[in-house]
Amino acid sequence: MKRFAQFVFAITLVALAASASAHHVLGRPAYSLNEDSNTPPSMQVETQIGNYFVTYMVFPAFPRAGEPGRINLYARNIDNGKPFTGNVTFTARDDTWFDTAKPEKLGVQVIDDNVFRQGFVFKHDGDYIIRAEFHDGGEPYLIDFPLRIGQPSPVGPLTLAGVALFAVLVGGSLFQRKRLQRDRIRAAHRDERSHSTREEGVS
Amino acid sequence: MIMTHPGLPALWGMVVIGGMVILTLWAVITPLPASASAAVYNLTRVPLLRGLVRYLVSSPKILLALKLVFVVLFLLVIYAGLFGSQIPERNLATLLTWNIWWAGLIFSVFFLGTAWCAVCPWDTLAQWLVRRRLWKRAEPNNSLNLRVPRRLRTIWPALLMFIALTWLELGLGITTNPYATAAVSLLMVVMATSSLAIFERKAFCRYFCPVGRTVGFYSQLAPVELRPIDTQTCADCKTLDCYYGDRDTEPCPTWLVMGRLKQNSYCTSCGNCVSSCPNDNVAWRLRSPSVEAVQDARPRHDEAWFMIGLLALTGFHGLSMMPFWETWMSQLARVLHDSGQLLPSFTIGMFGSMAAVVLVYALFVAATRWLMGNGVPFRRLFTHLSFVALPLAFAYHMAHNLNHLVREGVGIGAVFLNPLGTGMAPLSMMEKHARHFHMIISQDSLFAIQAGLMVFGFWIAVQILRHRGRALLVAAGHRGGSWRLAPMLGFVVLMTCFHLWLLSQPMMMRM
Repeated sequence: MKRFAQFVFAITLVALAASASAHHVLGRPAYSLNEDSNTPPSMQVETQIGNYFVTYMVFPAFPRAGEPGRINLYARNIDNGKPFTGNVTFTARDDTWFDTAKPEKLGVQVIDDNVFRQGFVFKHDGDYIIRAEFHDGGEPYLIDFPLRIGQPSPVGPLTLAGVALFAVLVGGSLFQRKRLQRDRIRAAHRDERSHSTREEGVS
Repeated sequence: MIMTHPGLPALWGMVVIGGMVILTLWAVITPLPASASAAVYNLTRVPLLRGLVRYLVSSPKILLALKLVFVVLFLLVIYAGLFGSQIPERNLATLLTWNIWWAGLIFSVFFLGTAWCAVCPWDTLAQWLVRRRLWKRAEPNNSLNLRVPRRLRTIWPALLMFIALTWLELGLGITTNPYATAAVSLLMVVMATSSLAIFERKAFCRYFCPVGRTVGFYSQLAPVELRPIDTQTCADCKTLDCYYGDRDTEPCPTWLVMGRLKQNSYCTSCGNCVSSCPNDNVAWRLRSPSVEAVQDARPRHDEAWFMIGLLALTGFHGLSMMPFWETWMSQLARVLHDSGQLLPSFTIGMFGSMAAVVLVYALFVAATRWLMGNGVPFRRLFTHLSFVALPLAFAYHMAHNLNHLVREGVGIGAVFLNPLGTGMAPLSMMEKHARHFHMIISQDSLFAIQAGLMVFGFWIAVQILRHRGRALLVAAGHRGGSWRLAPMLGFVVLMTCFHLWLLSQPMMMRM
């Protein structure tokens, strides 16, 4: 009985220790995760520019207007694998064809644990181009990547498809109507001619 | 972290190589055959099936119901893509389009030939919009009925569209973008509708559609065909209702005359010929899966390019999903000073891979011609022998797609319950691992099917080479001497080994 009590006590201790340890490892509960946490879903893109292999991550994966987000940028030299250690300037501009507004500077970041971290809050939904810029060996390095804030507008493709279909169908119908009318007129002229020829033949 | 699917184990690779060795020895030892087995079995002769087959084929309601189902699914894809979550693995648009339809379509060809074209939502929507009728013939048909320009009356537009679709799929990455998937779906409807409103019959299906032509060419290897029951009845026919249609039925959308039909390539399985034939002389029948590619299909130069293009593109699909492909692209990007999504590097890599396959094929054809004594023009050999590319591409395409279908199609049930993926988080690593263990079929079965498909493709390619090669040898003035075809046999072995190597590599998970 004594041994059983010892066994239960030992198991309880192990169980408590395990849960305490687990809690310690997990850190914050899921509901307190924000853009500064490494665990929320992120969008990750790997790219290459000049002598650098660049990885950038956006937290959260689908950021929304008015909500804070963060860009993590890693740049390592392709030849020696060493991280870039200078400053990286982040700017944002609208991703539209006719945008004339100047890009807005988000910030200049220094390396922190091999990562350049740039926070952001966008006021409006839309498509933006984020530019990360740094200089190395006298060469400028410009990394542009698209960032979508909020859900993309469904109107674009739908409108384009609708307009294209409308133009084709209506244009086709108008053309067809004109062609039928022309054929009818031609047929009437032909009938008239053959009728008058017959009449001339009779007289 | 990128997750990969395990490649075909070495044991199964050895089984395939063993099968190839046996078949190669058989091909070398056995004399070339005079003709292929043309045994066919008419489905309307089966006592129990007869009524059912006739009803299914002749009743427009069944086809209409199927079309409605696929149109609803297609519209749901567009809606989910445009309005749903942009997490690809949680959105119906990407999962249903790329993991289920695009991957599974090839298997429908294996069993049902060009049946997909009969229910294709692109064409159905175009038909409804232009003709303004759910079924039956519309007169006038509201189309300008212009003739397709002579230069476009080839398979080249479809090949270019297929290359463009591959670039969008693998280069731009629309497979992981629900929004882009919906936009491309809409674009296809606009193109199908425009073509129907401008050109006579269904020029889009015949000349432009990359999916329809791929399905059409692969269906040369399908075990089913729509053909006349009695050829003499067709020879005596004066009305050609199959070609012109009748009062209620549209004419053949792709300008086919049933009495002269020898290949499935351009048939869309619409059933118009079955409905309009006054003699009830058109029926579905079973046949040997290789007979059409082996001897019935007529060789044409543009079609030869399409078949070689299929071989190149299917191989490229596999190549671009290998982990080492990214390293190659990275090295190329450094040479080109390319940055960003590396699209120029990808484009060069894609066209380079395709050109390599065409070049290798041309070299082997040239070697064959040299052994034949230059009696046959290069162009003719290039065209006639291109049929060997078809089973090689088809077999690898199915073996590759099986990975997507079996390993990545697992979550489709959950996506149907929440097609827009509302409130869903991206698939976690743990869920991805869980999917690996909950495949639709067991991993061993998957490997066995993949190995079987590779041997099947090799076997059919050898058959095609023996039959078509014999005709070419006769044309070159040789009565025997099958050894002169050795370079082409080498091409078949080389391509199968390349595909086997691709299959044995770990493959990157799409989403």
